[in-house]
Amino acid sequence: MMVLLLALAVGSLFASGTYLIMRRGQVKLILGLALLSHGVNLLLFGSSRLTEGRPPIFLDKKAYAETLAWALPADPLPQALILTAIVISFGITAFVIVLVNRRHTVTATDVVHGEFVPLLREGDPFDFSEHAEGYQHDWLAYEIDEVYDSDDLLTGLPQRQFSEEDESAAMEEDNYQWP
Amino acid sequence: MALSANLLAVPVAAPLLTAALILLLAQWGGRRLIRQQIVLTTLALCLNLGVALLLFLATAGQGQRFVLQMGAWTAPFGITVYCDGLSATLLLLTALVSIAVYPFAVATIDYHRERMGFHPLYLFLLMGVNGAFLAGDLFNLYVFFEVLLMASFVLLTVGAQPAQTNSGIRYVVLNLLASTVFLVAAGVAYGTLGTLNMAQIAERLSVASPAVQTLLAGLLLVGFGSKAAIFPLFFWLPASYHTPPPAVTALFGGLLTKVGVYTLFRSFTLFFPDLLVEWRPTLLTIAGATMLVGALGALAQPSIRRLLSFHIISHVGFMLMGLAVALSGNRLAIGFGLGAAVLYLCHHMIVKTALIMAGGAVELHMGSDRLASIGGLVSRQPYLAFFFFLAAISLAGVPPFSGFVSKLSLLQITLDGRHWLVSGVSVFASLLTMINMMRLWRESFWGDYKRPSRVPSRILQSSLRQRLMLTPIAALVLLSLGLGVFGEPAFRLSMRVALQALDRKAYIEAVSPAESFSQPLPIRAAPHTSVGPFPEEADLLDRGRLIVDHAR
Repeated sequence: MMVLLLALAVGSLFASGTYLIMRRGQVKLILGLALLSHGVNLLLFGSSRLTEGRPPIFLDKKAYAETLAWALPADPLPQALILTAIVISFGITAFVIVLVNRRHTVTATDVVHGEFVPLLREGDPFDFSEHAEGYQHDWLAYEIDEVYDSDDLLTGLPQRQFSEEDESAAMEEDNYQWP
Repeated sequence: MALSANLLAVPVAAPLLTAALILLLAQWGGRRLIRQQIVLTTLALCLNLGVALLLFLATAGQGQRFVLQMGAWTAPFGITVYCDGLSATLLLLTALVSIAVYPFAVATIDYHRERMGFHPLYLFLLMGVNGAFLAGDLFNLYVFFEVLLMASFVLLTVGAQPAQTNSGIRYVVLNLLASTVFLVAAGVAYGTLGTLNMAQIAERLSVASPAVQTLLAGLLLVGFGSKAAIFPLFFWLPASYHTPPPAVTALFGGLLTKVGVYTLFRSFTLFFPDLLVEWRPTLLTIAGATMLVGALGALAQPSIRRLLSFHIISHVGFMLMGLAVALSGNRLAIGFGLGAAVLYLCHHMIVKTALIMAGGAVELHMGSDRLASIGGLVSRQPYLAFFFFLAAISLAGVPPFSGFVSKLSLLQITLDGRHWLVSGVSVFASLLTMINMMRLWRESFWGDYKRPSRVPSRILQSSLRQRLMLTPIAALVLLSLGLGVFGEPAFRLSMRVALQALDRKAYIEAVSPAESFSQPLPIRAAPHTSVGPFPEEADLLDRGRLIVDHAR
């Protein structure tokens, strides 16, 4: 019975995690990743069989032999594995939250785009002629170096220079010019 | 020469300790001590290269295997670190690539990224990659995967340009999904086989039920294949590799997908040798599709780095093809396919890194890497043009270079196995590679000189920086030339590496896991244990020997 419950829990965690990841919003993405990692942790927990009321470690050999006669002792290893996995997923979730936050600041949008959306928006991606100048990612950092070196930006983040109308356009996320 | 197995700790410990020291230095000295950080990192990279070279000579050269049981706990209870020819080859190549990219990175990375910890991150990435090559159990492999992923996340997104954060999200999510699948595989392995030690998994899988084998192989194929960017799982790669600075792209292109390829090699030859034969049509289909999609997708890319990074996918297809025919018993011996794949791996890591660095140098000079808006660089940068050209034709597979030898041997074994379709596809993909390379060369170096950015590139005004960028490219191209000219010894060495990797029995004996009570084995009475250990492999090896005798 407990096994069935555990399997159901793992399955529903995986399902809802996958569903949330496939949504467009970034906050849902974070939640989805967290749910997925919980699902995996539960699966690891179940990999050692659900034992009840049996100690994992014996201090005297006699008790060990007696226990072995009717059942195997509990297995402590998966809990160590889960602990490691929890630590790793904690770190990664923290990183993803910071990344999403930074992305929100930099690009002023919450939506995750596909790779070729900006290309398609600006014309034919297979047009290699000289006129197709629209798409260029000149992020080149050396030009930004001067901004960083100037020391007056405590945040370390270059402020994007928008003119008045550009800014209002950028708010409507569809007209946003991707770098 | 008797090396101590304790040497296996160095490729992980040296980068870790140096990175910790550098972080301390940065905390203490702040922005003034960047130069010291560079010196320390270089020292760690040199140490890593030296140790990798020693290990390579001892394992691939003399056929030794090193096993280090951490803390002297016997095998299934402790942490096993294992190194044979395959691991040592990849360790050596990783050391070479990282030491070659480093001068380029020092010359081109901007001050902001250095202050944000570029140098320790570089070492952390190296540590994760090395650890993944050395891991002897599934869970440690997972941990080292996460270490290298974490370092690569930060390297990819540090600087926080809009394009970087955009690609960062896609890269992070897709790679995390792959890691999740891999962790599920580890959980399934522990639940069904009761162990995570790779030698013991191999031992128990050969008597496990086919359902368990298929499930585990499928999960590992999806998890590792996604890291290696095989056909339906490659989308994270072209979405992200073009956004970080060129040095980071060169490092990623040289190292990251190759970890996935290595784990595919290792897991399939060690765990599922019979599935490798059984699944050959599937693997060959995936390999063919990967080659074709990589080459065709690269053809459609508008800029240098997008093209080069999309092209990595095509090469992964070639390596997968070598793995699929690894046990085919043709070409006089078992293992020819894997040997050819290992040689291709060496060629790819060396040449691809050189090419991405050269493309990055073009981009830095021009201020943009969009092919339509640049051109005519050959008059300003003749040396760069020269080495770019050599690397490009080496990648395309023109004779005096390493691309020719490795592609030829892969094609030979595939044709011997009468896999006509996939060999035709691989020839076609090579042709597309040639077209791609010629396009790159023509668009960026020939024609009238035009430079879209009006800002003069500060980076190229210093001749020291230019030399720091050109020297590693030249060195890697010369290495590729050497690998091509001395093709036969190189191929013999990689054959030896492949045979050593295919020898499962010796792997299990070297690690020699003790039987444990830690977990009830669900498959107590295996139906066909009486046949003897690993009948399928003994059979295959015998057949290989017969073919060799027959040929003599």
